[in-house]
Amino acid sequence: MEIIVKPLIQFFGLLLLQVFILNAIEPGMGIYLMAYPLLIAILPFNYKVVTVLSISFLIGFMVDLFSNTFGLHASAAVTMGMARPLLYKYFAPRDGYDVLRQPNVLDMGLRWHLLTFGSLLFIHHIWFFLLESFRWDNIASALIKTLLSGSLSLIICLIIQYLFFKKEKTR
Amino acid sequence: MRNLIAFFQRFRIFLYFSLLQVISLSLYFSYIAYPKGQFLTSSWAVTGTLLSWQNNFTKFIHLDETNEALQQENVRLRKLQLINFMRVSTDLIKIKDTVYRQQYEYIPGSIINSSITRKNNYFTLNIGTTQGLEVGMGVFSDKGIVGVIHMTSKNFSLVKTILTENSNVDVLIQPSGLTGYLKWNGKDPMRGSVLGISQDIKLVKNSTVVTRGGSGIFPRGIPIGKVEKLLPVEGKPVWDVIIKFSEDYRSLQHVYVVKNLLMDEQKKLENGIPKEVKK
Repeated sequence: MEIIVKPLIQFFGLLLLQVFILNAIEPGMGIYLMAYPLLIAILPFNYKVVTVLSISFLIGFMVDLFSNTFGLHASAAVTMGMARPLLYKYFAPRDGYDVLRQPNVLDMGLRWHLLTFGSLLFIHHIWFFLLESFRWDNIASALIKTLLSGSLSLIICLIIQYLFFKKEKTR
Repeated sequence: MRNLIAFFQRFRIFLYFSLLQVISLSLYFSYIAYPKGQFLTSSWAVTGTLLSWQNNFTKFIHLDETNEALQQENVRLRKLQLINFMRVSTDLIKIKDTVYRQQYEYIPGSIINSSITRKNNYFTLNIGTTQGLEVGMGVFSDKGIVGVIHMTSKNFSLVKTILTENSNVDVLIQPSGLTGYLKWNGKDPMRGSVLGISQDIKLVKNSTVVTRGGSGIFPRGIPIGKVEKLLPVEGKPVWDVIIKFSEDYRSLQHVYVVKNLLMDEQKKLENGIPKEVKK
């Protein structure tokens, strides 16, 4: 039972947070806070790439429906879903991943999480902002937006994980 | 054939990735350019309803400002009422005025979803085709123009605001009477720019910029902002006139949609312009 309910709560919780709270917060300087990439990062280790891509597309599409961005979030989320297995493979521990663990900060440790999720978030954000500006003369502003929004999003995702996530019982 | 199957098996993940990207990017670019149907927007019935629930909670944040603005507008309109005017001459009595005919009607609505920091900003309104909205109608608030209706559904609609790349609203700079068109640089939600004004003309700072009413979307004279400074455009003998918007789009809630009763007549007439001249 818990194995179905927990991901659903995470899914809708983070989606509602993104759509109704973070989308409404606009601190200026082009900063856009995004917490939904966390959903893609915390999918279990043993999921196939095709499953991850489909779920990413679905998540991005749902966010698009509420933000008048017409597929921009979906595209960025799919890119992140594609980068996820590559990065997880690169940063894998010597004896592989424990399938019982979740790829969040509590289970995998802060260093691993910052390396993988930080890079994933950077890829997601730079894809999003470059596609949004879509002009070469705006690259500098897109980069600034990426760095500012990316670091703030990372902090928000860390806070969410420390507040609401539980450490998996190691058997 | 076997090679082809092997190829697909080898690259199936990448192919699936490309497929998803093509879907999302084609959605993105086709909807940015022009509205085709009503699919991936927040004017969709379900998302629209959810967003209006959210608005029911959050509209109280700006309630004081909104009330004050509405009150000021009421005062301004009340001043124009006939009851406030003293009759100077007794021999002129207004009975039935056939000199004036109504050209514009206004439909009130509220913004339930908005963004101002994106490259192209869209607002969602809580009114739709049931209230008589059509694509291409102008939207303004009591302090300034907002944008043009981009898509409509039964009970919701999407406004392409002037905070987008190609808003191109005809504007008039008063009192000099110069005309140009409005652009937005994609960064500052407080400022826009007016292009199309020749550099040999002198412009006074703080002259007001209003709508020209040329395309029939807006009535003439709806405020937009004030001239802040003039910048030269590289390689062209025109000014890039930086204006400060009179409306603060960050806390905007209540708007009016313009319904031009004579729009069809104007459109029909302007369709007579030969195409090759328009180029």
